[in-house]
Amino acid sequence: MRLFLLLALLFFGTSLQAQRFATREAHIAFLSETPIEDIRAESREASAIFDAETGQLAFQVPILSFHFPKALMEEHFNENYMETERYPKATFRGQVMDLDLSADGPQAVRATGTLEMHGVAVERDITGSMENTGSGWRIEAAFDVPCADHDIAIPKVVSENIAEVIGVTLNANLVAQ
Amino acid sequence: MMRLSQAALVALLTLSLTASAQDDLMDFFDAPTGPEVVTSTFKAGRIINVQSPQTSGRGEVNFIIAHRFGRISDGAYALWGLDNAQMRMGLDFGVTDQLQVGIARSSFGKTLEANAKWRFLEQKKGGGSPISLTGYSVWMRDGLRFPEDGIERRGVHRLSYVHQIVIARKFSPEFSLAVIPSLVHRNLVDQPARPNDAATVGFGFRYKLNQRLSVNGEYHVLLPRPIQDGLHNSLSLGLDIETGGHVFQLHITNSRGMFERSFLTETYDRWQDGELYFGFNINRVFQVGKR
Repeated sequence: MRLFLLLALLFFGTSLQAQRFATREAHIAFLSETPIEDIRAESREASAIFDAETGQLAFQVPILSFHFPKALMEEHFNENYMETERYPKATFRGQVMDLDLSADGPQAVRATGTLEMHGVAVERDITGSMENTGSGWRIEAAFDVPCADHDIAIPKVVSENIAEVIGVTLNANLVAQ
Repeated sequence: MMRLSQAALVALLTLSLTASAQDDLMDFFDAPTGPEVVTSTFKAGRIINVQSPQTSGRGEVNFIIAHRFGRISDGAYALWGLDNAQMRMGLDFGVTDQLQVGIARSSFGKTLEANAKWRFLEQKKGGGSPISLTGYSVWMRDGLRFPEDGIERRGVHRLSYVHQIVIARKFSPEFSLAVIPSLVHRNLVDQPARPNDAATVGFGFRYKLNQRLSVNGEYHVLLPRPIQDGLHNSLSLGLDIETGGHVFQLHITNSRGMFERSFLTETYDRWQDGELYFGFNINRVFQVGKR
């Protein structure tokens, strides 16, 4: 009886684990578009975790992992805009809505939750797509982040070079944990 | 009875498992990450006159135009020194993110410079070194015509060298401090009593007022004591203003020269006597190579 219970527990434990999908190599890119210059940066060091049982989804990216084509841009990004030493990470945690766990192909979903960066948390509804790949989930999303929402100040001198609203794209392949 | 308690146990365990499953979703992110390199200890390659731990990034060229005007105490006749500008033009190239090589030419003494700077230890947060160490060596060639005084001089007599270590720490996002010991060697001295070698210990700081403005200062103590009559320690105070691709550095100093041998060991003016020079550096960065 004891053995059976133990086995049952272990089984249950692993089946719980299998509901979890995660990656530490998610790709997040952003683009600041102005008539004068387009500034791009990307990180391949974002982490994501999705709990299929509860529908909870979370992303986190170290701000320092964003790389720019110019070293100076990267320095300004960390030093002047994101204040990376004080706020080293950006996170999103939320709940996935309208997801059919057994459906094939990409499906449009909505995640409701909190996007926190530069120390400011904002409630967001982010739309994207999720696809059951058999071994995990592929998540894609594109959304806008207005700098002002997160108290990221853009001084007048560079206001023609840096967009007020930054376009963010995200790609992640989550595998069972 | 036994069955009931066992069932209860299972229920409890199951419950606790499910509960923890909801809580620890964020635990996934808490996996330990390595120590992170501390950046932007200072804003530009120089605190004012002296080297900071900053180097040009890989593939970056930093073009520095520096002006140092005449003595403010010269008064209205020389427009408080503005009539007598001398300049230094320099190019610093980032070979790697830690290694930089540069050349420069100062109108002061028609001095040509070749230099190398290597940040061989990074300050790290979350484990690792609490300070950064940066080595700097500069070769200077005096370009003035030899005086016709009957003394025989050779090309090698034009040369002097400075080697220094910048020991720096960023204490907070606002405040950074550096200690900079230097060795100065001249192949030829201008007076027989002067030694060919000298040493200095310098101190520099940066305090950020806001995202684009910082106050900087540096002070160099000449060694060995007592120092020669007429020579003084170099003291400079300045302001860094950052605008996108440029850093403007405005300052007041009692040193006229803008290369190491000169401001470290050839400062003949004193703050107390109002013998000060106004100057500025403009740093413009270009990305020329691949990162």
